[in-house]
Amino acid sequence: MKTHRPNFVIAMAILIIWSLLPILWFVRMAFMNHAEIASFPPHILPSSFNLSSFVNIFGYDYKLADGTISSASGQAGQIELGLQNSVIVSVVVTLITMVIVVPLAYVFSRLDFKFKNVLLNAVLLAVAIPPVSTLIPFYTMYVQLGLVGTLPGLIIIDLTTTVPFVTWMLIGYFRNLPPIERLARIDGFSRLHTLVFLILPLARSGVAVSAIIAFLFAWNEFTFALVLVNGTPATTLPAAISGFLGQDPNPSQLAACILITIIPPALVAFFLQRHLAEMNIADPVR
Amino acid sequence: MKRREFGTMAAAIGLAATPFGRAFASVADLEPTSGKPVYFRGWQFATDIVQSNVKRYNDLEHGKISYATVTGDYPSIMEQSLIAKADLDVLYANPSSAVRYYEGGWVMPAETLPAIADIKADMLPQFLDAWSYDGKLLGLSYFASTRGCIHTNLLAYNKAGMTDKDFPADWDALYDQVYALHDKGIATPILPHWFGEYFGISWGFVMEVLNRGNPVADPTTHKPTMTTDPNGPAYKTLAQWKKLWKSKLVPQEVLTYNEAAYIDAFASGRYVFSPQQIYDVQTMNTPGRSQIAGHATILPVVKQSWGLIDSALYLMTNRKRPEAQTDDVKKFTSWYGFKDGDGKIYVGERWMESHLLFSAYKSVMDSPATEARIKQAVARPDDYAVLLDVYKKTPFPTGIWRVVWSEEFNSYLRDTLSKFLLNDGDIADTIKAMNDQISSLNDKYGI
Amino acid sequence: MATIANKKSRQRRRELTDGQFALMIGLPVILLLVVIVAYPLVYSAWMAFHRIMFFGGYRAKFVGFKNFATVLSDPEFWWCTWVTIRFTLESVILTMLLGLGIGLLLNRPSRFGSLWRTLVFLPWCVSLYGAGLMFAYLARGQTGLPTAILADLGMQNVPDFMTTRSIVEVLAIGSSWTMAPLVGFFVLANLKTIPKRLYDLAAIDQLTPLETFWNVTLPPLRFTLFVFTSISIVLSMKLFDLIFVLSDGGPGDASSTLTYQLYKVSFKNLNLGYGAAMSFFLLFFIIGSTMALYLVWGRREKAL
Repeated sequence: MKTHRPNFVIAMAILIIWSLLPILWFVRMAFMNHAEIASFPPHILPSSFNLSSFVNIFGYDYKLADGTISSASGQAGQIELGLQNSVIVSVVVTLITMVIVVPLAYVFSRLDFKFKNVLLNAVLLAVAIPPVSTLIPFYTMYVQLGLVGTLPGLIIIDLTTTVPFVTWMLIGYFRNLPPIERLARIDGFSRLHTLVFLILPLARSGVAVSAIIAFLFAWNEFTFALVLVNGTPATTLPAAISGFLGQDPNPSQLAACILITIIPPALVAFFLQRHLAEMNIADPVR
Repeated sequence: MKRREFGTMAAAIGLAATPFGRAFASVADLEPTSGKPVYFRGWQFATDIVQSNVKRYNDLEHGKISYATVTGDYPSIMEQSLIAKADLDVLYANPSSAVRYYEGGWVMPAETLPAIADIKADMLPQFLDAWSYDGKLLGLSYFASTRGCIHTNLLAYNKAGMTDKDFPADWDALYDQVYALHDKGIATPILPHWFGEYFGISWGFVMEVLNRGNPVADPTTHKPTMTTDPNGPAYKTLAQWKKLWKSKLVPQEVLTYNEAAYIDAFASGRYVFSPQQIYDVQTMNTPGRSQIAGHATILPVVKQSWGLIDSALYLMTNRKRPEAQTDDVKKFTSWYGFKDGDGKIYVGERWMESHLLFSAYKSVMDSPATEARIKQAVARPDDYAVLLDVYKKTPFPTGIWRVVWSEEFNSYLRDTLSKFLLNDGDIADTIKAMNDQISSLNDKYGI
Repeated sequence: MATIANKKSRQRRRELTDGQFALMIGLPVILLLVVIVAYPLVYSAWMAFHRIMFFGGYRAKFVGFKNFATVLSDPEFWWCTWVTIRFTLESVILTMLLGLGIGLLLNRPSRFGSLWRTLVFLPWCVSLYGAGLMFAYLARGQTGLPTAILADLGMQNVPDFMTTRSIVEVLAIGSSWTMAPLVGFFVLANLKTIPKRLYDLAAIDQLTPLETFWNVTLPPLRFTLFVFTSISIVLSMKLFDLIFVLSDGGPGDASSTLTYQLYKVSFKNLNLGYGAAMSFFLLFFIIGSTMALYLVWGRREKAL
């Protein structure tokens, strides 16, 4: 391997700084006390590191070095609840999305049939609808169905975004896979069998990537959560966190919360980036 | 200590504090009977306190209160819930929203409570007036505060060679001093009430016009009262705003602040004056929370009042539910918004103790405990009297807040005023447009 | 001959045709989508043709196309359209350039490659809500990094980016910060499929790095780039959380995109009929711009 040219090193350094800077600005805030965050001009580094915000947001008091107590956050109940619900919602949404989307994208990308374009456009139309414009109808519909403030209600809404979106992304991917259907049929495999036992293993990295995209959509969904489950036992993390902006603000705890929400998807991303790097295994010059 | 344990302990202390245990001491029967939950919703403020209050009720009175908080644009989210007839029994509301909800036909006024006579007797008259509509008291006191009393950063003020003697007596004097302070080398002497929330820039305008002596709209007929007379309150307010904006002493980002950023900006000590909540005197004076701890005070009332009444009520909805459940809603509201089973204004006193939230009840405000509490929060002992004086003289914009269109006008004001600043709007035209808006809203609702 | 034909037809009977199989898989999903998505859409359409009042009793009055006409004659609508265009263009261009850059840089073998990949992916893990807060704290003069750096250098300037002049750019930077890694990783995935021999050939032909990029690297990326350009157009035009948190449409209406304005009209002012009418214009713009992109770009890529 040849040594990296300085240009590359500089570009890489800029990229890493660009990616991390906003996050680091919050890391810094999470370790500051409120007076320090409010200081002007702002300091780049905290004068003392303390973990109190990370402890407080989970409902525990924290004793500072000088003996004073940083008391537990009033949002802790919502945060714990939100964390729990967000995990449930995201996992369920991811699973259902993948079960629906993989065959759907496969069908659209590999087979020819009547009305294909009409149906495809119907799916894509769903991507284009801005959530804000369907918020009120959804809300009214949900009140009638008793789905406001419930996890199934939120899961259904999340699916209306993830299903079309992930379908869109996967279609291009499936298109690039080698044409093995004909071979499979000659060997006497049924279509379902072909899909599950031949295509799926071949496409597993693409499927994995789609899964993390679905997961992230559900994990970070805010608009619907704000209106439909905010303030109920079904609240999710983003909705619960928005409480730190209220009239009794605590930016340090807010920052700590946001950082914690990054951890689960970052872990998933860490284990998935290997797949990301080798996603399109097919030769495009086929 | 874990939060939940704290709640239990607080409740236990509450029990222990009652001399003979509450079986003997109970003044009113506030125990629910329907066995159904009562849905209680509010915005996010010190939710730990609210949770432990609710827990105390549930423990002492065997209640089934389901409490949760709502974030985002509170008045509109609540309006959505009310329109959709969602599960909602007791909620926080600003008086202007309360009037709107009442007109929407979603509110059960406090008049239906058994203890209404006692409640009214204990309420300071200005709040009884502000919170009554259609001859009915709409809800019970959550808090009553002065928003827009002028917080002053004594650290910077004294450093500029100024003392209490130099305190400005009215808005014009305040602005004069802002420029004087700037000449003395202070880059940003004032943080005006121009932030982007629904209670930001629009209320900032309303309070200044009120303090200068104009009610914005007539308290009974709701006809517009602002004039384009260059010496009139509305004109002078906008003229001062324009001058301040053009002087570039206020960073544009203030217009996009939320309340969190607004409070923190003043707590940084960067500014000398700022209209803020009266209870934030404590915030500004807390070490570990503010850079001017121990050096924050507010301007006293000399020639004119400061700010406007910012208050909130506990409202009861009138959604369809069984009679027994409605009774439970009343019992809880009475316990929470007035007196508990032992005849103590428990929640109101607790808010004073924990967050310096002022109450509309005389018995809370006049108590020695409150005096001690306020004296502990202020920078200088004499500030106690100043705080109470400013508080008691604060005006309420009845003409535009005790009317069904108040929220619509408020959101119009917010847009109009920020555009007035940004686009260098004409003062007289802007006032005319605001008056026209009031008239057309009156027409819309047949007032 | 006959036996073969026989065998074929028997096989067909056992096997579903393409169409049948597609129907079996696709129809339930599409029906479900139609029910879940179409109901609110139809409801919106109904609202767009009505004037809805809540006070003095709930009433809805049919008003024909009046709401649509009001939208078109509202200068605020056209202002918001302009803000949307400006924001979308900036956001999409930044996202695509950054995404391409991320893909190209990460494609170089380097030590700790998997660490870099994870770090670069992090912004996509941050919710738009969180990103909005981060950029608000970074961009404000009161709490921002530029002020902190200048102060450390002994200067007293307070750079404020939350102004009418630059707020859209702050939003565009924020949204591209979160979206670019997604594009970057799909670009990276495609780059991995380019056979190394093509680069060897390019070296033999003594192509400049730019020529190599243009003739070898870019062609297989083009379809992915098209797909993600349309995705980021749609996401940018739909963007709400970030604006809501970062600037709340302000200062004034400087960052009120159509989505934000829609929220304000329908949700804050409860002007439901008008809001619903406006949402159809927005939907039309979103679909229109992706279609346009398909016509001028996507159609050619598919032919490849």
